[in-house]
This record gives sequence, structure tokens and C-alpha cells, in this order.
Amino acid sequence: MNRRLGTTNIKILVAVLVAIAIAVVAIVRLDTTGKKGSGLGEEFIYDVGDLGKIDPNLILYKESAPAIITGFTNSRAIAVDSKGTIHIAGDKAIRKFAESGNLLGELKFADMPRCLTVADDGKFYIAFKEHVEIYDGQGKRLATWQSLGDDAVLTSIAVSKNDVFVADAGNRIVHRFDKTGKLSNRIGAKDKDKNIPGFVIPSPHFDLAVAPDGLLRVVNPGNHRIEAYTFDGDLEFWWGQFSAGVQGFCGCCNPVNFAILQDENFVTCEKGLIRVKIYDPDGAFVGVVAGPEQLVEGGASRVSEFGPASQAGAFDVAVNTSGRIFVLDTIKNVVRTFTRTSPKK
Amino acid sequence: MSKNPEQEQTRRQMLIAALRYGTLGLLGATGGAAVFAGKKKNTQNTVWQIDPEICIACGNCATYCVLEESAVKCVHTYAMCGYCRICFGFFGPEPADINEGAENQLCPTGAIKRTFVEDPYYEYTIDESLCMGCGKCVKGCSTFGNGALFLQVRHDRCLNCNECSIAAACPSGAYKRVPADKPYLLKRVDPVRNSGTDKTYLSKKEGEKRKISNRAKRFSNGVDHV
Repeated sequence: MNRRLGTTNIKILVAVLVAIAIAVVAIVRLDTTGKKGSGLGEEFIYDVGDLGKIDPNLILYKESAPAIITGFTNSRAIAVDSKGTIHIAGDKAIRKFAESGNLLGELKFADMPRCLTVADDGKFYIAFKEHVEIYDGQGKRLATWQSLGDDAVLTSIAVSKNDVFVADAGNRIVHRFDKTGKLSNRIGAKDKDKNIPGFVIPSPHFDLAVAPDGLLRVVNPGNHRIEAYTFDGDLEFWWGQFSAGVQGFCGCCNPVNFAILQDENFVTCEKGLIRVKIYDPDGAFVGVVAGPEQLVEGGASRVSEFGPASQAGAFDVAVNTSGRIFVLDTIKNVVRTFTRTSPKK
Repeated sequence: MSKNPEQEQTRRQMLIAALRYGTLGLLGATGGAAVFAGKKKNTQNTVWQIDPEICIACGNCATYCVLEESAVKCVHTYAMCGYCRICFGFFGPEPADINEGAENQLCPTGAIKRTFVEDPYYEYTIDESLCMGCGKCVKGCSTFGNGALFLQVRHDRCLNCNECSIAAACPSGAYKRVPADKPYLLKRVDPVRNSGTDKTYLSKKEGEKRKISNRAKRFSNGVDHV
């Protein structure tokens, strides 16, 4: 009797121990913290890190100076005047820096300046959300132009001898003003007869510049190209195409900004896969100024680790007369200086 | 017959024990009822939701839900969408061609539908029956686009567990309790700050109104898909 009871007790004890062991293993293996990952297959992984890697032979520039710290929380735009002074628009101010990084001055505003340019006569043309203001070199306001409406989102401004061109991402149009602020005409409206497709502006990044050949260059980011217009609004030609490769513009809307070098080459900025590249006046790919590995903390692999940083990655670019390229890093809010290393062909 | 002193003592002890345990039981029942009532009240007034500003679309939503088909789905704020011909929430990073071929699509389950609106605009809609909440499209849209696609807990599916297993597994802490009468945290369009640095939230109803008005505005030259 005692022996039978003893055998039964041992069996119960063994069963309890086995159950405890199974429970311990289950608890140890159970991942309630998510640290072991989703467990999804490779087809669910989104990684464009390989796209961000650029052949080093294509990189023609190197960073040649310490980054200029703008001090802004939200930097927006960069412009360089004929004397080489760097102007940065951000928060509710415009700050002037020397190439060395020294802060030379600041203009403060009630509203956020969206973009700016400095004319040859030293006047500042500053676009806010829906209107333009003109300032002299000492910061005195000279003029306030008409409001372009609640739908206007002004993103770029360029000045020629007699005209001022303002890119309006909200209305998807370029406004042409004379120097007094009188609206002359609008450029880029969809027109089948003139074979103008209209601007496709999925996000508020819409840049323009007056090229040395006298034509207005305007980015059409949704069509992945840069278009050339006469001042009267005729579309002359365009270049650029969608491509995930380094030679094209990737993503849904690129390039976001560009500048024109003294040799008439174009410097373009892309968002998403953050790249700054060089194209010749006809749109042929020349090389890379900097890619994600140079521009994004963590390199190309961080491109897919999105967050607020990826939405702020619409860098701006400006050039000086000696061919130096200044890239406004809107993630870190610094200006990075690049100088060409390889000789021009 | 004389009384048995042991029995009297036993009855006394029984009465004292009954009183003692009865009191304890009553206290326990009262406390349990209070806790239950509190939890039930919490559960009834709040629901789980993902903050799209914090979510990193890690994929855990697809596999950690107690339901076989996750209650988390991708949603689309149309007012923020660019209606791009080449949408990187729809297309993979290196599409072979710009068409709706399965080999070109980013979504592993084909849950995003692409519909031509007018040149060069396309509309992208989510088929929730196919969406598993992996967030791959969210990454594509947020990396290259405007971030119009994001994940939300769908309250026609969610069991509103007191301890959400996805919330416990969320590496970014994006899960939070929100009022049950405002169960969604939707992104809002602010064209001036559409770069994503400043988003606030509308109720679902208000978000729908904004979606309609923006689509009408965008396609003011004729096509109406409302």
C-alpha cells in the first residue's frame, strides 16, 4: 500500500516538474517585448540601402570645410550673394554667414520666410507663404507685394534684370513680376496647345532659377525633370527622367531643389534617397557631389528608417562664383561646403 | 444531559471563524468589484491607437495582435497624398515598369489599388481585406512621399484588450490610449508645413471632409471622384 502510494506520488511529482519546465521554456521563448522582430519574411522588409550606395568613382566633390551651424530649428532655404555671403532662411529669421561660418547678421520677421534670393543690387527678395517682400542690405523693408491668395505656397524666387519669378507650389504655377511688383504673366499652366503638361507638385518643393542662357529653369518634380521656359511662358525643352539609379531622379517627386554653376552645370538635390548631383546644361549626368552615405547620419542604411527626419530631408543648395557648393542640411540645420576634387573633363 | 464543554467551544470557534472569514470574503468581494468596475470603466472609455508620428512601421503590428488577422490596417489621408504617377507607397524601389503588375508593387499582399484619375494623377486605395498591417507601404510613402499612408488600429476589428500585446511589443512606444469617442489619430494637411514637422489631428469625420475638398480642389478641371 505504502509502496503504491509512493509510486503515485513520484509520478505526480515528475508530472508537475515537467509541466513547470515546459512553462519556463514557454515563458523564456515568449517575446512580449517585440525585440525579436515581427517574424515576417523577407518580402516584408523595406530596405533601399543598396540604392543609396554610390560608386566612389562618381563622387566628384569632397566636404572642404566644417559645417556651418545655422542655429535654426527649421531651416528652409539657402542663397549665396555675389560677394559669397551665405544667407539662410529658417524659423522666423534670415541669418547671414561668412564662408568661414561666422555669423554676420540676422533679420527677424513676424512670419516664416520660405525662400529668398539676393539680387545683384544687394536687395533681398524674400517670399513668405503667399507674398513677397523686398529689403535692402541693411534690413529695411522697401516693399510688400500683393498677396497671391490663401492657396499660394511660395517656395522659390529668382531675379533677372527686369523680372522677378516666384514659384508657387500651392497653385502649381510660376508668377512673373516686374521689379515694381506688378504681375506680368504666369508661367507653366497646363496648356495642350502649347504642349505644356503643367507642373506636378506633390509636396511643397518647387524650385526655379534664371539660367545664363536667358531661359527660366523650373523643376517639375512630379515629372522628374527640369523644364526651360521663356519669360513669356513658352516651354522650350526639358531634361531629366525617373530612375532609381544614380543617373535619374528617384522617388515620387524629385529633384526638390537645384542651383546653376558658373559653367552652366546644374546641381540638383533629391529627397528620400538624399543625393546632390551634377548635370550638364543638356541634362547629361556628370557626377555626384554627395550621396546618402555622406549626407545622412548612419549612411544609406538609414534611408528606410523613417521618422520626422525623412520628411525634413528636402535639402537646398546654392553655389558661389568659384564653384563651391553649399548644401543646406535641413535635418541637422547646418550648411555643408563641398569643393570639386576631380578635374573637369 | 450535561453539555459537552468541547462542543460549546467548537460552536463558539465556528461562529468566530465564520465571522472572520465572512468579513474577509466580504472585503475581498468589495475590493474585487471595485477593481473590476474601474477596469471596465477604463476599457469602455478608451481604446488603443497608434500615434503615426511615433510609429516606425516595424511590422510587429502584423504579427503580435491576438487576432489571427491583425486589427491594424494601413489608412490613407488623401488630402496629404500627391496622387503621384510613380507612388513609392505603391511601387517597389526599382519597378521594372510603371504599371500595376504584381512584380512592380511594393505591397506583398497586393492590398493597394491604383486607379487612374486624370493625367498624370492616380488614386491609391487600401483593400483592408488584404492589408495585414505590415507597414511596408508606410515606409515607402514616408521615405519618398508625403507620409499620407500610415497605420491605425481599426476599431471594428480590435478587441480592445486591457493589455494590448502589440502595444507591449511596439519598439517605439507608438501605442496609446485615446478617448473612445475619438478613436483615430489621423494626420492632417497643413500645406505650409507639409514636410511633416507639424501635424495635428482631426477626427475621422473632419479628415474625410478635408479629403473631399482637397480632391475637388486638385482636380478642379473636371474629374470628380467624390
